[in-house]
Amino acid sequence: MSDRLERRWSTAALLLFAGVSASGCVVGNLDGEDSVDAVHARQAVESGARRLTRVEYDNTLRDLLGDNSRSGFAELPEDVNDPFDNNYKTQLPSPSLIEAFEKLAQEAALRALADPAIHAKIIPCTPMGPADEACLRKFITTFGRRALRRSLAEDEIQGYLALQAYAVEGASFDIGVELVLRAMLQDVEFLYRVEVGTPVAGAPGTFKLDDHEMAMRLSYFLWGTTPSDALLDLADAGSLSTPADVRSAAVTMMSDPNARERVNRFHALWLSFHQLPHPPALTSELRAETAALINRVVFDEPQDYFDLFTFNETFLTDDLADHYGLPKPGSTTGAWVPYGSSGRKGILSHGSVLSAGTKFADTSPTQRGKFVRNRLLCQEIPPPPANVKADAPPGGVATGCKIDKYKEHAQAGSCKGCHSQMDPIGFGLEAYDSGGVFRSTEIGKPECAISGDGELTGVGTFNGPAGLADRLIESGELERCVVTQVYRFAMGRRETTADKSALDDLGAHFKNDKHAFDQLMIELVSTDAFGFRKQED
Amino acid sequence: MASFKLDRRTFLKGLGGAAVALPALEIMLDSHGSLAGPGLPAPQRYLVCFGGQSLGGDGDTLANDYVPNQIGKGYDLKSALAPLGAAGVADEISVVSGLRIPTSYENGGMIPAGGRSDDFHITSLSPLLSGVRSGTQAVNGVTSDQIVAAQIGATTFPSLVYRVQAGWYLSVAAPYGRDLLSYKDGGPGNSPIPIPATVSPKAAFDSLFYNFSPPTDPGLAKQKDFAWRERKSVVDLVKTRAEHLVSRLGGADKLRIQRHLDEIRDLEKRISALPPVAKGACVQPGDPGMDPTVGGDQGTDGNGANTYDTNLGYSGEDLRAPVFCDLMHMAFACDLTRVGSLMFTMAQSHMNMFALTQQPCDLHEVGHGGVPGPNKTLEVSKAIAWHMKHFAYLIKKLRDTPDGTGSLLDSCAIVFLHEGGHGFDPSSGEMYSTHSTENMACLVAGRAGGMKPGQHVVATGMHPASALITAMNAVGVKTNTLGEVSGNIPGLLVA
Repeated sequence: MSDRLERRWSTAALLLFAGVSASGCVVGNLDGEDSVDAVHARQAVESGARRLTRVEYDNTLRDLLGDNSRSGFAELPEDVNDPFDNNYKTQLPSPSLIEAFEKLAQEAALRALADPAIHAKIIPCTPMGPADEACLRKFITTFGRRALRRSLAEDEIQGYLALQAYAVEGASFDIGVELVLRAMLQDVEFLYRVEVGTPVAGAPGTFKLDDHEMAMRLSYFLWGTTPSDALLDLADAGSLSTPADVRSAAVTMMSDPNARERVNRFHALWLSFHQLPHPPALTSELRAETAALINRVVFDEPQDYFDLFTFNETFLTDDLADHYGLPKPGSTTGAWVPYGSSGRKGILSHGSVLSAGTKFADTSPTQRGKFVRNRLLCQEIPPPPANVKADAPPGGVATGCKIDKYKEHAQAGSCKGCHSQMDPIGFGLEAYDSGGVFRSTEIGKPECAISGDGELTGVGTFNGPAGLADRLIESGELERCVVTQVYRFAMGRRETTADKSALDDLGAHFKNDKHAFDQLMIELVSTDAFGFRKQED
Repeated sequence: MASFKLDRRTFLKGLGGAAVALPALEIMLDSHGSLAGPGLPAPQRYLVCFGGQSLGGDGDTLANDYVPNQIGKGYDLKSALAPLGAAGVADEISVVSGLRIPTSYENGGMIPAGGRSDDFHITSLSPLLSGVRSGTQAVNGVTSDQIVAAQIGATTFPSLVYRVQAGWYLSVAAPYGRDLLSYKDGGPGNSPIPIPATVSPKAAFDSLFYNFSPPTDPGLAKQKDFAWRERKSVVDLVKTRAEHLVSRLGGADKLRIQRHLDEIRDLEKRISALPPVAKGACVQPGDPGMDPTVGGDQGTDGNGANTYDTNLGYSGEDLRAPVFCDLMHMAFACDLTRVGSLMFTMAQSHMNMFALTQQPCDLHEVGHGGVPGPNKTLEVSKAIAWHMKHFAYLIKKLRDTPDGTGSLLDSCAIVFLHEGGHGFDPSSGEMYSTHSTENMACLVAGRAGGMKPGQHVVATGMHPASALITAMNAVGVKTNTLGEVSGNIPGLLVA
């Protein structure tokens, strides 16, 4: 409640100040511009240096050097999925990480120089010989600005130029380029997005991101890769310094194909289909199905984001239709097929999402229920007590029906509390296997019929993914949770109480914007939480 | 005294290094690497190995086919340890049996000191490796190898951390930390910092022997020297820039980037270190070449049955293991490091066993009756024996490498740990479960600190971390504890 009041006050203060400023009256020791920042800075939250994830690293090499090797994903230690792969609080360096970065940098540099097209693209001059300092300087300045996402100072340029001695000794200009590339691709400011910002007068400990830091934040959040030249130009020109500037840049960025890829990546991590337990052919078809729906709801026919959960068509190839047992569209490349009365609708009916929460080689009502609570409602279920059996199926393995065994959870007093929050959700999805295929009896047990009756405890009963989608929307929690998950992905960490004010604002906008997902992302980058920072202690 | 064979190469090198009149043995007294020399104490070496499998199969009343019947010297070899006999190294390796890790079940639902929660995977890792009870992280204390590394003196590499199993092999998310064997001090909020393993044999080779003996061809030697200086200059520039950046940062970011900078400094030290001199037993091993292809995640056929007779879930681990053993061996022989950890298979390993043992399932399922038939424990032993084949190869190499007046194994303390034992699973209530830390056993090899190898020691009720404490003591770390566990194994060390 006090947060709410404070927020109102800060908005009021902003309006008040504008009036006072117009009258020429200076309040306290603040000059006009700083005081406006100080007011905005009330929503500033902490941020830390964020290392590129494996995917961001590969995207960045792709955009800097036309390098499609995806070598980082293959050779860097894996990121921690929480469920997003970019939680900077989990990132710790190690000898194998440092050695991998060194090796990857060298290999990427050699690949780039060996490709005449890339070579010509990154070296903006024709060298007059190995010792052509002007040309190497030009390379350092242009490539350095792109790799380090800001202009280099003269002493930094000098540091890189010193490597030209090897070009002279080795009688090849390219040696200098190679070494500069290697050094830049291992540079801490390349591997990490380091933010410092400018101290805000009147708001101790708070900093306003500078324009280049804002370009990095925008680019890695909206695109998952390094800023484009156009975005760096905006930063150079000081055109990313107000929320209106940032919003305008973000609107442009959302129409880039990178934004689609990033939105898809967000959903894949959030709903856990970045890894799928199926053969490659099925996996790629399931991914294509889900990507088509996300693209349609978020980008192609922007509408209420909840349509993602209630859409009555899906994108199928003949093979995938066969897999689901749905009517074939007569296409090997895919077409939209109405769900009709199949009992399915939206993304929760996709095999991609229904793959989550398997255990003991089958769907687990508990794990699926936990997944829905954690990911879609942002509720944390405490782990089972230390003395609880959780790595063998309930009720022994041999006889009886699976659902009845899971129902034992509801009998045991100490289990009941948590399991009644989870298992009934899974019961309602049980008629759909871990590939999303409908079934009416348990695997290998025709005597065990699956009713598919479930309940989102506290909201209502349902049967199947279509019904679950309706209950989730009715719960009112899904709306807030979507905002929270996007916020975690954007900020690279879990939220704290300090983030509540920003989350409240975003939640209100999301509701007012009829749940337009692209607008949520644009709104997020325009918040003061995104434009200001506090230093982590 | 260990058998001492002098291979021809070593003999010739000895002859080449000094006047022929001297006895060859004396010439090689100080030939164990770059830092040890006359007047310095002989280096001590410490290694922890790990296999991600328990000792027995579900429902089988036979606890294991691992622990000898006979106690003391000259113990009998069961099927799991048969490869030790085949390689002729059983008398270099002690078996410690009767070990256990306590569980919450026996402690009123609270995880006891040095214990684990009842859910098996992967809660044994923390007490097993660090002696600290399971909890928030996969491992909650500094692991023994890193305690030793901090105390016995780093050479070029403070420690080597290798893993043979190349992937997790399931397409569903893995429990974080099942692939981590080493943790050092200094993480956020007193938590230890995980050290991910080097998984590529090629990368491990390049890192160790990057700057080994220059080629005899002058042109090649010049090229190599040029590449070395280039590399140093690049890393030096990266370091200098990072130092400058750290000086501008505050709060948590300063510490965060400082950690990265510390690793760059270590890399620079390794690159700049004087190359090991190829003499005595220290010679550059052959380049392993390209890594074996990394196999895909396990697949299922149209009926949901796993497809094991493919390369899914397998990346040529049978070829990777000997390379890592060779590298660990030569890193010790050249004194490039004195501490290592070597994970053969991950905790809860889903490596496909078909190519290794013709078992139609992954390593984890071997314990859960993945092989049809009644002999679940014998099947588990077969899988352990694959690990033992490679472990025996490493021990044999160390034993057969001369060092000073004896063998390289004389200065080593090596422990092989298994993820679990066999018996009561408090989680399921089963009496004969593979998800158990009852009836655990481990292997201890080496003669550092006067350890007595080749015996079967029954240490009833003791904690497996006590075997690590014993090995730590053997290499000169004076401690009676590891994490929350106290006491070494009586009888392994000469008082």
